[in-house]
Amino acid sequence: MNHRAVAITVTSGKGGVGKSTTVASLGLGLTQLGYKVCLVDTDIGLRKLDLMLGLENRIVYDLVDVIEGVSNLRQSLVRHKEYPGLALLPAAQTRYKEEVSPNQIIHLIEDLKKEFDYIIIDSPAGIEGGFRNAIVAADRAILVVNPEIPSVRDSDRVIGLLESANLAHIDLIVNRIEPGMVKDGDMLSVERVQNHLAINLLGVIPEDKRIIRSSNTGSPVILDEKSLAGKAYANIAKRIIGEEVPFLELESPTLIKRLKKIFHIA
Amino acid sequence: MSFLNMFNRGDKEQPSAVTADDRLSLVLSYQRTDIDERKIKMFQARLIELCDDFGYDVVGQVEVIPQARERTTIINASIPVRKKDTVEET
Repeated sequence: MNHRAVAITVTSGKGGVGKSTTVASLGLGLTQLGYKVCLVDTDIGLRKLDLMLGLENRIVYDLVDVIEGVSNLRQSLVRHKEYPGLALLPAAQTRYKEEVSPNQIIHLIEDLKKEFDYIIIDSPAGIEGGFRNAIVAADRAILVVNPEIPSVRDSDRVIGLLESANLAHIDLIVNRIEPGMVKDGDMLSVERVQNHLAINLLGVIPEDKRIIRSSNTGSPVILDEKSLAGKAYANIAKRIIGEEVPFLELESPTLIKRLKKIFHIA
Repeated sequence: MSFLNMFNRGDKEQPSAVTADDRLSLVLSYQRTDIDERKIKMFQARLIELCDDFGYDVVGQVEVIPQARERTTIINASIPVRKKDTVEET
């Protein structure tokens, strides 16, 4: 077995905070750094990662097929054509989360660790059975939080559940931060969110309209050179492998902001 | 009748705290300690009894406010008291 292999689950309390966007970009980011990465979508019934990566037309078999022995891993993994180091194990779209048990996921991740350096698990939202499957085989967790009270409250519960599952290595990504709103006191600051949740801050992703474009085109935002969010994800990928990377300056000078607005540059 | 409702602003639910940070602190502390209004009322009643045992009269509103600080909850109690007047019986 490859001893470097690490399984990371990307989770949240509330849905719609940007988990799948994060998984897609971090997967590509780690692949660009030279690692072999497998993304596992455990959101059975509501798969998204295939769309985020532009692989939706290439799915033949899925996670449930592998577990039930309908297909083997090699047949079921969808390899990225442009980045061969990246593979996706898609979730089943017409099945139920309850059809997979935590033990089956443990065996699956063990098998994937033989081939890949990083296995990134996209967890479903909420704290039901699907969530337990997503964390059971993880070595570490990344919690994606939006700087708003409902998201932070749900995340606080998730931290408690991760800790009670003996998952001690938990990092925080604060997603969709708007520095202007923080400055005006209309949004919780990253510092306050981190202070309340009291876990290590892995990265901060600014609100970025380019993310919508990227999920609609199936090209993760990390590939968009003009995107500040993409740069932030690239930095997070480096922090995952242990590099020390300073946090991005998210606030643009006012003049540049005005010019961008005049010329309609997002 | 709806136009009358615009004058009825007094019925609007008041937020639990003014700033988002204070509100988050309160929300997290309630969740972490599994505390609710009933428990807080019982807590207040016990504090009043305790003050009585130690020779103090409670002279105003007792406030029990849980606050989250990192992953710990701190229960702040504000109890306005006055030392009991000692009247010697003859």
